[in-house]
Amino acid sequence: MKDQVGGNHKRARFEALCRSLRPDLLRFAFWLSRDRALAEDVVQETMLRAWKAQDSLLDEAAAKPWFLTIIRREFARSFERKRFVTVDVDELVAREEPMLAAAEEQNLAELRAALFKLPDEYREPLVLQVLMGFSTAEIARELGLSGAAVLTRLFRARKQLRTLCGEDTSLDPES
Amino acid sequence: MIDCTRYRQAMLAQPHDADPELREHRASCPECTLFTERLLRFESGLQRALRVAVADAVVPLRPRAPRRALGFRKGWAMAAGMVVAVVVAGGLWLGVPRSSLAADVVTHMQEEPQAWRRTDVPVQSAALQDVLRDSHLRLAAGTGLVSYAASCHFRGHQVPHLVIQTEGGPVTVMVLVHEHAQKPVQFDEQGYRGVIVPVAGHGSLAVLTRGPATDFGTIEHTAHRVLDSIVWTEDPSAPRP
Repeated sequence: MKDQVGGNHKRARFEALCRSLRPDLLRFAFWLSRDRALAEDVVQETMLRAWKAQDSLLDEAAAKPWFLTIIRREFARSFERKRFVTVDVDELVAREEPMLAAAEEQNLAELRAALFKLPDEYREPLVLQVLMGFSTAEIARELGLSGAAVLTRLFRARKQLRTLCGEDTSLDPES
Repeated sequence: MIDCTRYRQAMLAQPHDADPELREHRASCPECTLFTERLLRFESGLQRALRVAVADAVVPLRPRAPRRALGFRKGWAMAAGMVVAVVVAGGLWLGVPRSSLAADVVTHMQEEPQAWRRTDVPVQSAALQDVLRDSHLRLAAGTGLVSYAASCHFRGHQVPHLVIQTEGGPVTVMVLVHEHAQKPVQFDEQGYRGVIVPVAGHGSLAVLTRGPATDFGTIEHTAHRVLDSIVWTEDPSAPRP
């Protein structure tokens, strides 16, 4: 009886954790994969793995990076299992148009399309910083890069994005 | 002292960097001030662009056969059942129309982590005025440095979501004109601590901080300071056209 109560409590806590993190996890997976269906699958699989490995989460405050690490691994696994066909970025944008164009403003839709065009190595740290609120050190740890490399990628990501969006870049530094 | 190139490189990598050296350079360079204003405007759009509507992307509310490519394993049936329950609960949770006001405020905070940065860069005055004007209010002097202002969709209405920088760190304020509270409510949920206070004739005000460092007395003091600085520009009891 005592075990059952403990099990229910553990399960309830885990469910609450998943509920609170799921919106951001889905967004992260979406920007990582640029594919809504794949993002849903990866997050679902991530939750399964997280449930199995929950004893390794020692501090709930560290749950977000813990889940993100699982998502990144799961995303990499899905690439190993599946031979993805190379798709033109414009086709990707067209395929995900309902989601990208759900913006209330035209410039947001354009910005989302531009984000699709960013190389993965620039898009991922940018999403971690802006969407997930990660510090440079946390991004470096997550991606296995030095702090300087992360800052370089973030700099290039914004520079490319601003150019893609037709921003006034006359004051932007060259490199 | 850093030069303009170094300043702009640093800002493009970390637009909310509060490094004193950067701040000093910005204060002395009109061109870099202009560059920063443009960059922060772009950054605000970027934050909104990345926050795609999750409701459009949620996992279906009923179990489905996972894709073979993802290697669903038989031995995980129990865990799968649990996760389906989480997914269903999550879907319902998103759809519940009138859950606890405090819980909804906390949920909204979790969707905007970027708003919690400690910074000394104020939000653009025009952007702040736009957000406040929509809710028929303005802020008098003495509110403190407002570093973030957005008009957010919350319980079927657009509401002002502000972040004010205080000595204890960033504090979030939501002006909830359509949510009437009978009495002040304190809450401490999922890492957020805050208060919801009634505002006579204007719904309520939610003020919250992240983490346990700030006590309720300080949060309530901030709430009353913000309330004192709000100037309503429209009488809600006046007949509307």
